[in-house]
Amino acid sequence: MGGKAKLTIAGLLIVAAVAYLIASNTGSTAHYFLTIEELQTMGEEAVGRSLTVSGAVIGDSIVYDPSVPRVTFTIVQVPGDPEEVERAGGLAAVLHAAVNDPSAPRLEVVYNDVKPDLLKDEAQAIVRGKLGEDGRFYADEVLLKCPTRYEEEVPDQAEEP
Amino acid sequence: MLSEVGTITIGLALAVCLYASLAVFLSIRRSDPRWLQSGWNGIYATTAILGFGLLLLLFAFLTNRFEIQYVAQHSSRALPVYLKVSALWAGQEGSLLLWSFLQILFALLLIARPSVRTRPLLPWATVILGCVAAFFIGVTLFLSNPFARLDHAPFDGQGLNPLLRHPGMIFHPPSLYLGYVGLAVPFALAMAALITGRVDEWTRAARRWTLAAWLFLGLGLFLGARWAYDVLGWGGYWGWDPVENAGLMPWFTATALLHGAVVQEERKGFRTWNLVLVILSFVLVLFGTFTTRSGLIQSVHAFGRSALGYYFLAFIGLVLVGSFALVFRYRSFLRGNSSSEGLLSREGAFLIALVLFVTLTVSVFVGSTLPTITDVLSHRRFEAGPEWFDRVTGPQFGLMVLVLALCPLLGRSAQALRRLRSRGWPALVGGVVVAGSAALAGFTGWTSLVGFALAGMAGGTAVAEIAWDVVGRSRRKEEPFLQALQRQVSRHRRRYGGYLVHFGLVLLVIGIIGTRVHALETEVVLSPGEEAQIGRYTLVFEDLRQEQATDHVRTEARIAAYRDREYLTTLTPRIDAYAQQTVGVPALRPGWREDLYVVLAAYSPTEITLKVFINPLATFLWLGGLILLAGGAVAVWPSAEEVRLPVAEARRRKVRNTVAAVVVLALLIAAGAAMWGPGHGASARLVGRPLPGQPAPDFTLTLLDGGTISLADLEGRVAVLNFWATWCPSCEEELPAIQSIWEEYQGRGVVFLGVALQEDEAIVRGAADQYGLTYLLALDIGEQVSTAYGVTGVPETFVIDPEGNVAFVHIGPVTAEELIEELESLLGQ
Repeated sequence: MGGKAKLTIAGLLIVAAVAYLIASNTGSTAHYFLTIEELQTMGEEAVGRSLTVSGAVIGDSIVYDPSVPRVTFTIVQVPGDPEEVERAGGLAAVLHAAVNDPSAPRLEVVYNDVKPDLLKDEAQAIVRGKLGEDGRFYADEVLLKCPTRYEEEVPDQAEEP
Repeated sequence: MLSEVGTITIGLALAVCLYASLAVFLSIRRSDPRWLQSGWNGIYATTAILGFGLLLLLFAFLTNRFEIQYVAQHSSRALPVYLKVSALWAGQEGSLLLWSFLQILFALLLIARPSVRTRPLLPWATVILGCVAAFFIGVTLFLSNPFARLDHAPFDGQGLNPLLRHPGMIFHPPSLYLGYVGLAVPFALAMAALITGRVDEWTRAARRWTLAAWLFLGLGLFLGARWAYDVLGWGGYWGWDPVENAGLMPWFTATALLHGAVVQEERKGFRTWNLVLVILSFVLVLFGTFTTRSGLIQSVHAFGRSALGYYFLAFIGLVLVGSFALVFRYRSFLRGNSSSEGLLSREGAFLIALVLFVTLTVSVFVGSTLPTITDVLSHRRFEAGPEWFDRVTGPQFGLMVLVLALCPLLGRSAQALRRLRSRGWPALVGGVVVAGSAALAGFTGWTSLVGFALAGMAGGTAVAEIAWDVVGRSRRKEEPFLQALQRQVSRHRRRYGGYLVHFGLVLLVIGIIGTRVHALETEVVLSPGEEAQIGRYTLVFEDLRQEQATDHVRTEARIAAYRDREYLTTLTPRIDAYAQQTVGVPALRPGWREDLYVVLAAYSPTEITLKVFINPLATFLWLGGLILLAGGAVAVWPSAEEVRLPVAEARRRKVRNTVAAVVVLALLIAAGAAMWGPGHGASARLVGRPLPGQPAPDFTLTLLDGGTISLADLEGRVAVLNFWATWCPSCEEELPAIQSIWEEYQGRGVVFLGVALQEDEAIVRGAADQYGLTYLLALDIGEQVSTAYGVTGVPETFVIDPEGNVAFVHIGPVTAEELIEELESLLGQ
């Protein structure tokens, strides 16, 4: 076998290995992105998987115990599709409507960390973690966005663990 | 007025830029040098006009012209001048204007002093660069005008996002933009070469441009990583955020291009590879801009949602279709010498490296767009977090480092295996030494040990290659070693720059493994005076201070840090509360083995919550990055051999190069000082407070009622050492308590000693009479004793046991209950 053929095979092997890495990690370490509604339709099936769920924070639901530290709060369904959000009048309007809609699906979140500064009423929370068997969502990571006066989005990483 | 002038300026720039591109195009069509000259004048004019526009915007910032929306949104009266300058590119409108200016400036630099090789490519390259610049100017003018005005000018602006108020923000964005616009130049040269059928000439013509762009892009990424470490307070420096990735991808492809170009120059190989890489690099730059501005991808850096994205998408499509159509049309030029020498040859290693750079780029691309990709493929959205990226890219980086370790050992001949056997030992030694010392230092776990070994192998090879090369020359030419080194470096800048880059990469890899695999993160809640043990570190919370700054309230916790119970430094993590946003500023104590990184996460009057990160080998990461960039700078410098010119011209160039070197160096030092300089919330005092259990520092004091007392006199007795002052309000509170306990315990062999931090005996006597203090009192002349005890404020109280060791420490006032409990525990023993 010529050098060129060997090289081609080596190159193809690398490409195949990377393709495998991407595919297998997408199955295992990637987070399944869901809205609260979708999560609740999944039911039991969702328990124990790596998930990312987004929703609007209800300010009154925030309970913080600084000695653990642990914060629990409830988030409400917002549409996952950015275009749908845009049609409904932008993120701020969608968040406001969600928080004031008592019939919208809700999810209780438990986050064993310091309470983020941006965790307040009508903030958009993107929580990463797992759904517990008790129906509560145990977050490893909470990203928050508030419609601020600054044009830039508030950095997500500031809230990463 | 200012607004109109600004808008007209950009409009004028667009018109002139379009004219310039058209004129150069006509000159090619009609072979008329007058059109060419006119077009080039147009490029000069556009640069001048846009430069004026930038100055105008700067002027608007410096003079607080809040009728201009962009100024009102990103500045305020109270903002310091250097931040007003950086606010110029803090938002989308200004950064696009800067981008447009830099893009046309690079076109100008390209035509201003063309080399013989570049000249035939210039007309087409100018047309392409002119069109790219026109696109950016057009977008700025029609979709994102920085001079747009507000109907009612507010009295004050909204100020700059607090997270961007960092010296790094002066250098990070412009450096990235320089890298981005720089990559358009090799693209334009490559396309020009393709059209004119000079496919072998463009890599050489574009080499310094590619290198410079690679260097700036790398510097931008590196400064961004440091900014994140310094400001964001999550203990990390790279979050695999889609926009970080957008900067990383063109850097990967540009790195691949630099390697592919070597083979093309030496052996006319990799022609198609290089074209694909140069197109990819440029398209990925546009893609990066698209991701930041489209709002489709949520990220730290997102500029908010706008229609801009679709225009970029259309432009990306145009560039992709256009450039690949060119490649297809002129494919006959690309057939050439592509004989390759097999897997175990230098060329084979280069090919594997190129494949890896491309798979890495693809992996990062897939990860960044995974929600969209999986949505299209399966109507379910998956998101790639840092773990996904680490797992997917980690093995590829590992293989890359292995190739790096072996590549220099492989010659061009078939004797690769023999060469490997005779020259492979430094790699083995390096691998064993690095992995061995890492294991001894406690960094175990097989993935990281494999990583350390690979890094060590690559490092061993890099060092050995330089040594063989220089020793060879020094023997051959009978020059001293250092002279030989200097000569070799100045003759073969690209090669030695490469060695340096690879060596920097090795350190970088060591730092990445340390910080990503072995980092420790924990949270502690402390009340004043309380201590926490985290690994080898002891943290003692001293006090919390609040202070009103011009536009924010600063809350700063002071934490004394001890390593192996020995005083190390005092950390001051803080929280700055602005009107709308609070920003936590971490405190950092860097070290060779590990960084101690402390964030004030929350505070209340009674306690604070700290997030403590121990980041091993982080220093290697920054050092490696700096060496890597320095290597790039060495490579980009003109080689001595390239310049063979008349004496006068050579001298002029020398002066110019020296000036450029000084300017670049000054900028780098400024950037470095801003990022790594002092002021990361850690300042060590001479002496730290002794921890409980440690021997009490010796002292000798002259007592107020005559006689002296020293530590030795207290032996065998329990002693209470109270540092106080007459002017201190909380001392007033605790003094009666101390006096009453003294009265209660004086019969039980306890010594009370009040050390006043004052030099005026009369005042102290007055206060002692006022409070009726009857225990021993002394003046701390020259603050010698309080310094020895590491006292940082009054009152502080040390309870010393009969063996002369510190048993209890109180920072701030002590209560009667606490003191009684402690005395009882000591006396009861």
